[in-house]
Amino acid sequence: MTRISRRTLLAASALPLAGSFLAPRSARAEEAYILGTLFPMAGPNAEYGTIFTAGAAMAIKHASADKMLSRPLVLRAEDSEGTPQGGAVGMNKLVNVDHALYVLVGFTGVSKAAAPIGARAKVILVNGGGVGPDLAGLSPYYWNVIPLVPDEIKVLTPFLIARQLRRVALIYVNDPFGNGLYKALKTDLTAAGGEIVAADAISPADQQFSAIAARIRTLSPDAVYFASYGAQQAQIIKQLRDAGIGQQLLTYSGAAIPSVRNLPEAEGLILTAQAADWTVDDPITQRFVTDWRAQYGSDPTPYHQNYYNAVRLFALLAQQLEKAGKPVDGDALRAALLATRRFALVGGEGVFDDLGDISMKIVVNTLKSGKLVAIG
Amino acid sequence: MLVLQLLVSGIETGALYALTAAGFALIFGATRIFHFAHGATYALAGYAFVFASRLGLTWPLGGLLALLVAVGFGLFLEAAVYRPIQRHHGAFFTIFVAAFGVVIVVQSLIELSFGRAFVAISTPLTRAHEILPGLYIARVFWLAIVVASLVFVSLGAFLARTRAGIGLRALSENPDLLRAFGLSARRLSALAFALGSALAVPGAVLGAATTGLSPAVGAHVMLISLAASVVGGIGSLRGAALAGLLLGIVETLVVAFLDTQWSEAAGFVVLFVFILFRPSGLFGAAVAR
Amino acid sequence: MIAYLLNLAQLAAIFGLLSVSLNILIGYGGIFSVAHAVFFGLGAYAGAHVALDLAPDILLAALAAALIAGVFSALLALPALRVRGEYFVIASLGLQMLATTVFTEASDVTGGLGGLVGIPPPTLFGVSLADPLVFLLVCLGALALALAVVRLLMRGSFGRALMALRDSESAAEALGKNVPLLKTLAVLLGGAGAGIAGALFAFQEAFVNVESFTLDQSVLIMAMVIIGGAGTLAGPLIGTVLLLALPAALTFIPGLPPTDIGAVQQLIYGLAMTLLMIFRPAGLAGRRAGQR
Repeated sequence: MTRISRRTLLAASALPLAGSFLAPRSARAEEAYILGTLFPMAGPNAEYGTIFTAGAAMAIKHASADKMLSRPLVLRAEDSEGTPQGGAVGMNKLVNVDHALYVLVGFTGVSKAAAPIGARAKVILVNGGGVGPDLAGLSPYYWNVIPLVPDEIKVLTPFLIARQLRRVALIYVNDPFGNGLYKALKTDLTAAGGEIVAADAISPADQQFSAIAARIRTLSPDAVYFASYGAQQAQIIKQLRDAGIGQQLLTYSGAAIPSVRNLPEAEGLILTAQAADWTVDDPITQRFVTDWRAQYGSDPTPYHQNYYNAVRLFALLAQQLEKAGKPVDGDALRAALLATRRFALVGGEGVFDDLGDISMKIVVNTLKSGKLVAIG
Repeated sequence: MLVLQLLVSGIETGALYALTAAGFALIFGATRIFHFAHGATYALAGYAFVFASRLGLTWPLGGLLALLVAVGFGLFLEAAVYRPIQRHHGAFFTIFVAAFGVVIVVQSLIELSFGRAFVAISTPLTRAHEILPGLYIARVFWLAIVVASLVFVSLGAFLARTRAGIGLRALSENPDLLRAFGLSARRLSALAFALGSALAVPGAVLGAATTGLSPAVGAHVMLISLAASVVGGIGSLRGAALAGLLLGIVETLVVAFLDTQWSEAAGFVVLFVFILFRPSGLFGAAVAR
Repeated sequence: MIAYLLNLAQLAAIFGLLSVSLNILIGYGGIFSVAHAVFFGLGAYAGAHVALDLAPDILLAALAAALIAGVFSALLALPALRVRGEYFVIASLGLQMLATTVFTEASDVTGGLGGLVGIPPPTLFGVSLADPLVFLLVCLGALALALAVVRLLMRGSFGRALMALRDSESAAEALGKNVPLLKTLAVLLGGAGAGIAGALFAFQEAFVNVESFTLDQSVLIMAMVIIGGAGTLAGPLIGTVLLLALPAALTFIPGLPPTDIGAVQQLIYGLAMTLLMIFRPAGLAGRRAGQR
């Protein structure tokens, strides 16, 4: 908690927001569809903001090239700093100043703080990165284009039992995401005949894990599961390995970022994530993958895919509404989503349930020289 | 065995805290400048070392670069920020706010040039090995202890034996005496900043290998240094060093009994106990300024 | 747009109240606290609970917040006031760090990092104050009241005694002033003001969590007082407006890649803080240099 940063300095006081009021944005809002992004753009989780934005940006490029809509799509970024506080403040600005119609969001705490503001203003929030269990049905105007962590745990548990990894020690961030994950893991693992031998709550700002490692070592678990974000994940992995913990390390889809994948100590890490099958033979997936490789020289990640899909979903819904001659607003978008349900997205057809949540296939991966390899 | 293991990692952490805290205490004791940007020195030194090792430089060269960066930064702050404010009879808090601004600037510069992700140096030195049943020690533990001891012994000798060292100790107590000795208070103040900043280097370099660095890494070290300088007794180097060690051990040992989230708070509980029951600290003489 | 400007003005009034209350300690009492966000937080949690569990009456919430924050500040200050100067700063810093941990851990009361959500819009005797303009007037009213109280008190015997103590504690003691009582009263007054600001903040954001009450926030409030000019009536207000407007103005910087905006804004912000202190060490509204 001692991280001295811009976090409170700017966000808490909601100050960074102004400025824009002098720009003639409301005028432009008439001409374009404003999509907002509420991602961490500075601080320890900024890595995610960069990744999320890249996916959305490519979808906008494609939608514009295809002339899907009569008006241009414009992206407005607010820094959520990955915190509930930043989320509430940034959402207020996107709604009241930028007049965003549709806001892309990541992170569980951010979502929980921003969702009530979106619901009040009937602005749609779409999450493609946060996986906390309580994100399902957060509000009628809050949808998920990413499968949530209980889905990941459901796939992981049988895998653990089959591999005889029954006694699991857990290190989790003490926030809505971490607490939700703890509950889900405990329920599923216990029901399957496994056991959580220790559960250590950490703060998102903690940097020292050698003491936890020492305590976990005395319990000699079969595996260690950690649930954290961004830079902290890499620190946990390194310090556990340094402290002589040789057991299998487990985690969730949040670790699929470069700072973890490129860490030598992370070799062999097991993590669940949605299936990333770039060989799917449909034109939408192939166009996305081909253009991605051409622009970035590497394969896209599920996060890129999700935020691409989030923007594409908007374009599809708005296109439908424009054709029907209806206004494009929160209620109309929601009605269109629930009426249509099935959309042609990257990775195949996306199907949404009554709550506005997508389902996707999840696989267990292991990390081999920086790449995710599906193993179950 | 858990307690013994935690004690070992507490001593390792504490030895590094001790050095950084002594640096802060040296600066504060000699100049009365509340150098809140000492944590930024620590972060800069750590990143300089990482930068050097990415260039493929050897450990000693990397350490030298870190040392140059830290000392240069300390001297720059003293001359460009603190001295002008002090000239205006700068209030204690004015210096605090200015230093806080510096902390923010350094953090964003690091973010811009190194990215926000976590960086670490990979070395076999930090790999722990079982030396007794259930007791794991990495070679970096011995390194930390040796480095800390060497630095403290030579610092002690410098302060006790040399003219400049004696002058430093006299600076806060009796500026008139200095003049009689023909020493310049301004030069001594610069010396205090150079030495104090240099003391942050070993912790930063070893920290880059053990816990790793992030742009905000200095904050925690800074708070520990502050707490240690009070627990040790303001102005007492020996006290600050011992208190830094103590706080490192407390922070780690507390995990045996409580949730890890309390480990930082535990250090500050120690601080309160001292403020209430022994405000002069471990070695301090008097509370009054 | 109007909604957004009103939102910003409300925040400015709330932070104005915070810095005015901290100025009683730093500017008039010479008590250097970096724990003001703790009392801001206590007030916010108290106000939020009154609104969530009892009734969203703003007067009730503000009274509860002032009471809790005031009493806690006095209780915590009593032992710490025995020590002076740097010791008090560091003690308050320790208090701030402990409080952050407690706010995070006591999730039954504070909601932890997840915070307390869904705080209803405020009312006064059953009349809704949900309209942003009305709520802004309420915030401005609270700020004006605080300014009036400070002005009145600082011109009276209490204020004179307090300032005498700030300038020389031993002289004040020699003159027969009850030093501990004076200090405790100043701390209580400042804490209660921060508490009221907290209750207003809880209504304003409709959401509170520990991130608003960290060391960073304390330092921000302190910077508002110091940059504006400690010990002056207008200083804290100037500092508040400046520190709120500066980051806002920075969003104008054109041509930056979106991923670097955060860091560049921070850079300029920190630089401005340092430069202001180098060139205006007594603050923008201050005539004489700081207190020590």
